[in-house]
Amino acid sequence: MHDTAHDLAVQITALQKWYGAFHVLKDISLSVSRGARIVICGPSGSGKSTLIRCLNGLENYQQGTVILGGTRLGDNARDTSLARRQTGMVFQNFNLFPHLTVLSNCTLALRRVGGMARGEAESLALHHLERVRIPEQAYKYPAQLSGGQQQRVAIARALCMNPRLMLFDEPTSALDPEMIKEVLEVMTGLAHDGMTMICVTHEMGFAREVADEVVFMDQGSIVEQAAPATFFSTPNHPRARSFLNTLLH
Amino acid sequence: MEFDPSFALSTVPTILSAIGMTLLVAACSCLGAAVIGFCLEITRRSGGVQGLAVRFLIDFIRATPVLVWLYCLYFILPYYGIRLDALTVGIAGLSIYFSGYLAEVFKAGIDAIAEGQQEAAKALGLGRLDRIIFVIAPQMLRNIAAPMGNYFVSILKATPYLAVLAVPEMLGQAFDIASETYRYAEPLMVAGIIFLSLALGISQGIKWLERRLLAPMSR
Repeated sequence: MHDTAHDLAVQITALQKWYGAFHVLKDISLSVSRGARIVICGPSGSGKSTLIRCLNGLENYQQGTVILGGTRLGDNARDTSLARRQTGMVFQNFNLFPHLTVLSNCTLALRRVGGMARGEAESLALHHLERVRIPEQAYKYPAQLSGGQQQRVAIARALCMNPRLMLFDEPTSALDPEMIKEVLEVMTGLAHDGMTMICVTHEMGFAREVADEVVFMDQGSIVEQAAPATFFSTPNHPRARSFLNTLLH
Repeated sequence: MEFDPSFALSTVPTILSAIGMTLLVAACSCLGAAVIGFCLEITRRSGGVQGLAVRFLIDFIRATPVLVWLYCLYFILPYYGIRLDALTVGIAGLSIYFSGYLAEVFKAGIDAIAEGQQEAAKALGLGRLDRIIFVIAPQMLRNIAAPMGNYFVSILKATPYLAVLAVPEMLGQAFDIASETYRYAEPLMVAGIIFLSLALGISQGIKWLERRLLAPMSR
């Protein structure tokens, strides 16, 4: 590994978060280099989603530091908007805007945040819709698409903002099995294009094939962190072993 | 006294001559109530001290009779050097009064929007105002087209309150005819029928709008 500070996309140090009395994130430290593909897995309630939501200001935290692309994020509006400019996020439930066409879903932020003219925004959006192999649906509304198509649009919408880091929060958990494949293929394509990705997912096939590193979380802590080959063949922690057993059998 | 259809017909032109005033008051008040109501609701949601103050204000507005608002604006404001004409007071009074109700309607419409919509908009970097204008408001309007239409009809039906300020709206005109001729049934009946058709028109318009707005989400 060539872990100089400059090559790090994200550096999380000693992150602590409480929801009231509930300690959701316990002393989390994690470094992600540029171009790395990290898969975070673990039982529900282990804090995986909360962790990645701390990276773009959808959640705040009480202690610790997050350094994103060389800038330490503080708890203020300027840093939050900086974080959001650098990250793209894909949600479990797609969260497309139902009142806008696929194309307008992709162009809204380009025009309002990026200040781009309509024509320019639309051609960029079409480029990314092609990248997720769905350009023919550009003028439809989200409700007219299948779940897999909607999630691919959501990926294109995030890509439009040219993020340096893509966050995936269980992107296939709300999909029928036959649609999971098309979304994972798009994500694999992104990984091959060199995108830095942090994916919260239970798709262990994807983790094995694409991830550089698997991070296993349990009860708010990172309990195991290893290359996929090691993680899947010889998990150290008993919780990781039992998690893999329930998942694979 | 028998109902005289030909007398009723003869009152139509005079009463109709005030339809413009009634529609002007109703349209301005709908717009005013919607704008004020939306601002109240957005402020209430933002929480903090101003959110609490607005929560109280909305309850206060809804708990006060509309006539109190009209009288206050017309008779009390001049003590403070603010002298408004009757038409302005009428529109302002109806706008304020109905803004309290519309704020509640907007609340329901915004509560019904999935939380993920806000999060997706935030994650894309959209600022608060952009999120309100481009993500929240359009979805809210779809959710509340029907109840909002009901309040627009209520506003139309509240325009006769302006008679107390001598604004020449339709019911006032009808009543003037009645006082001059001592025949009440015909002019009041005519005014009632015109109000009925206007109200039906508004609710049909809202239904059409609702179908159009909802079409993309359900196809």
